[in-house]
Amino acid sequence: MAAISTHDPLADLLPRIASGDRAALQQLYQASSAKLFGVCLRILSNRDESEDVLQEVYLTIWRRADRFDAGRASVMTWMSTIARNRAIDRLRARGPLAYAQPVDEMEIEDTAPRAEALLEAAQDGAALHRCLAELDERTAKVIRIAFFEGVTYEALAQRLDTPLGTVKSWIRRGLLKLKGCLER
Amino acid sequence: MSDIGPELPQDEALAAEHALGVLTAAERAAAELRMASDPAFAAKVEAWRERLASLAEEVEAVQPPAGLWPRIAGGLSVNDNQAVVRRRLRFWRGATVGSLALAAASLAMVAVLATRPPPIIVTPPPGPMMNARLMPTSGGRPMFLAAYDPQRKAVLVASLVPPGSDPTHSHELWLIPADGKPRSLGLVEQGASKSMPISDRMAAMATEGASMAVSVEPMGGSQQDGPSGPVAAIGKLARI
Repeated sequence: MAAISTHDPLADLLPRIASGDRAALQQLYQASSAKLFGVCLRILSNRDESEDVLQEVYLTIWRRADRFDAGRASVMTWMSTIARNRAIDRLRARGPLAYAQPVDEMEIEDTAPRAEALLEAAQDGAALHRCLAELDERTAKVIRIAFFEGVTYEALAQRLDTPLGTVKSWIRRGLLKLKGCLER
Repeated sequence: MSDIGPELPQDEALAAEHALGVLTAAERAAAELRMASDPAFAAKVEAWRERLASLAEEVEAVQPPAGLWPRIAGGLSVNDNQAVVRRRLRFWRGATVGSLALAAASLAMVAVLATRPPPIIVTPPPGPMMNARLMPTSGGRPMFLAAYDPQRKAVLVASLVPPGSDPTHSHELWLIPADGKPRSLGLVEQGASKSMPISDRMAAMATEGASMAVSVEPMGGSQQDGPSGPVAAIGKLARI
């Protein structure tokens, strides 16, 4: 992929963090905390919980910096995966009520990206967005919900009142099309 | 329509679904284990994470409150092994510099101690119950839960990996005390829980902050002194 060829400026910080350099962690925090806080807020819609999760995220980065493999992922991807996993864990810990949203709520346009956010998005993001737009609206929406809310196939099927097999099929075909589109 | 058309190959689909996060907790744990033992599959998952990570770019950046960094900075020392090691080193270096003065003082001390009756050796009371959540190395939900019961001198372990999900490997549980050298506690069957009695020597190493890890090994476990396969999950013992 094209993203690998450019040098990742954050990648140099991780070996320093792994050896216990706090200034390096602070630098990483300054460069990335607003983005990761945005991700936590998007998933949790609650500031207090997002702050707690963000704190956990940077402590996890501090402890696991030695596991980061620059050949496999960019620093930002690695960190947003940690932030997303932690936020989703917190969401799930709220219990089944968190999933008891009526189907109507899915129709709110909140899942669509904001214009200014899109302008800021890196080229990769723009490509993914273009490719999502090529999918039918329902599939793109279901993929976004899955990504930001960490809902399993079962929960999605329940929410959409659609058979499990059908939901799986939408997502799998949608992902295949996404991959094809991104590789074009 | 999306209802017609080809689907992704099985492996690719599983990698994409794991990256997207639609799998159940048990399937997720199985996928994490597979990542630890199958680099080609791990690369597929990472590639999908990279593709989907751009979704996060759609999210507006929000400045966290100014008080958050100090909170994080304050939490670093208790979470940092290296800092602990360095602090100890500094202590010993300091001790060496001051050792001449200390030597004089300790000679005086020896004289005092020599006049006392020998102390009675008391068995230390058993420590507190501790547990560890063994998390997959790339984050996510725990794959194994372990607890140490000092009364019974036993480690209780539960595998959250679906039974039969990796029929060609064994999962071996390790205790990694302060010296960093892993000691095998035995094999853990997929999806099973069991109690493993441990020796007094091992029990002494099962202290707060010691790590527990599970490695993916050939059937029957590692043939060498220490893990021979990749570490699938790791966690630290903490008081309950």
